[in-house]
Amino acid sequence: MLSIIKSIALQGLDGYLVSIQVDISNGIPDFKIVGLPDTSVKESKERVISAIKNSNIEFLSKKIIINLSPASTKKEGSIFDLPIAVGILIASKKIKNSNLEKILNETIFVGELSLNGNIEKTKGILPICIEAKKLGIKRIILPKQNTKEASIIKDIEICPISTIKEVINYLNGQQEIATEIEEINLKNNIEYDIDFADIKGQESVKRALEVTASGGHNCLLIRTTRIRENNVGKKNDNNLARYEFRRNARGNKNI
Amino acid sequence: MNLEEMLEVTKIYSILGLNSMDDPIITTRPFRNPHHTVTPTSLVGGGKYPKPGEISLANYGILYLDELPEFNKNSLESLRGPLEDRKISISRLNTTITYPCKFMLMASMNPCQCGYYGSKERKCSCTAEQIRKYINRVSGPLLDRIDIHIEVNPIKYSQIEKKHKIETSKEIKTRVNMARKLQTERYKKLNIFSNSELTPQLIEKFCIPTSSGKKILEMAIDKLGLSMRAYHRILKVARTIADLETSEKIEEKHLAEAIQYRSLDRKYWQK
Repeated sequence: MLSIIKSIALQGLDGYLVSIQVDISNGIPDFKIVGLPDTSVKESKERVISAIKNSNIEFLSKKIIINLSPASTKKEGSIFDLPIAVGILIASKKIKNSNLEKILNETIFVGELSLNGNIEKTKGILPICIEAKKLGIKRIILPKQNTKEASIIKDIEICPISTIKEVINYLNGQQEIATEIEEINLKNNIEYDIDFADIKGQESVKRALEVTASGGHNCLLIRTTRIRENNVGKKNDNNLARYEFRRNARGNKNI
Repeated sequence: MNLEEMLEVTKIYSILGLNSMDDPIITTRPFRNPHHTVTPTSLVGGGKYPKPGEISLANYGILYLDELPEFNKNSLESLRGPLEDRKISISRLNTTITYPCKFMLMASMNPCQCGYYGSKERKCSCTAEQIRKYINRVSGPLLDRIDIHIEVNPIKYSQIEKKHKIETSKEIKTRVNMARKLQTERYKKLNIFSNSELTPQLIEKFCIPTSSGKKILEMAIDKLGLSMRAYHRILKVARTIADLETSEKIEEKHLAEAIQYRSLDRKYWQK
């Protein structure tokens, strides 16, 4: 039987939709991933098999072929573990639901599996969510640890999960996934323990750094002495960073 | 930072898995200070599946390069393009990937190996050839892209002892924020928010010196043989200095200060 699961792959800061097609047929037992996977994607074979087995689900020894479409672009990373596992479970009829097709159509899956069936955090969740929103995806199933990062993107349903069992129960319609989202703190409240007032003399340097910070210019400090000044330079830079941090603190909403 | 800047910065950190799970959104401007042994690839980004480098991690923040001449020549020269374009395109056989890198470059260096060349108090023990060799590791074109050059000299004992009030960061910050506000107001419709981002066309529009200012600029250009790029950068810095005084016009004194920030390369580089 065939199943098609959606996921998103990243290329630089942008993503594109990947459909993971799983076909299980009778024949000599085999497990192949095609569609230009790199080593980390190829290795997901081992993780998926162990994770399914260790979740007390029977893993059929049949001929399994997985295609990552578009097949002409290279895929990397471990985020395809979860969609591959879900695809296998659906193709081997371990998940049954009359609404399944509709759910799969509006959901993307991302997540790395560990051998005991847990879903581990992955990289690049924010760009994936941004891309999903752009593509008009309704729901994203992702590792629980990544919930906070994803929750900054509004208008998309986020379903955090921690084990492969939860995904199965959810898709079977036996369990809802709590999608309560914590508020994230966007305030910048870092306190610095360094201050320009700690630097004696060096008025001209401070002035130059003030100009640098005000206009966002580049700056080169040339030290004609070896000791201590290094410290001054670093201090200034950190403070400068702080001005920079606050540079849009007031009334900058145009971008 | 506003929300869109935060998202752009966080996206880069997220790809590399550098943001924490508890506080995943980067809300403070990044400050990156790679060691001078950094390779060109890790500085500008790259690899088989091109990943962002330090300059992209410093997006909307500061990239601080300590001991500038000690950096690998290739690493330094690879900064030339990104400093102008504010983005980096990494081309591989299959793909071209563009990462943003709108960073401020801060660098510091000694002018020679012993560290005392140019000092009034101590004698430099390097030979002329050694000094030339050391300082030329920082190339002219790279130097040209740095707007402000400043010398840090040792302070006198009297200054250490002096108990007068020194300005705190907070006070300076108020001025900086005010100047920033002026700029964002001015460039509201242009999708930029600081003087450093002005293009040559915009410089013609926003950085018009007074007639006495023009005279001093003419003198500097002709006498010092400054490049067109240096000319534009001087105007941009002068604009900032004028903004700090909330002055609409760019006057003589503003230009004089800006030109002075470009004069050190003559002292050290053109011997």
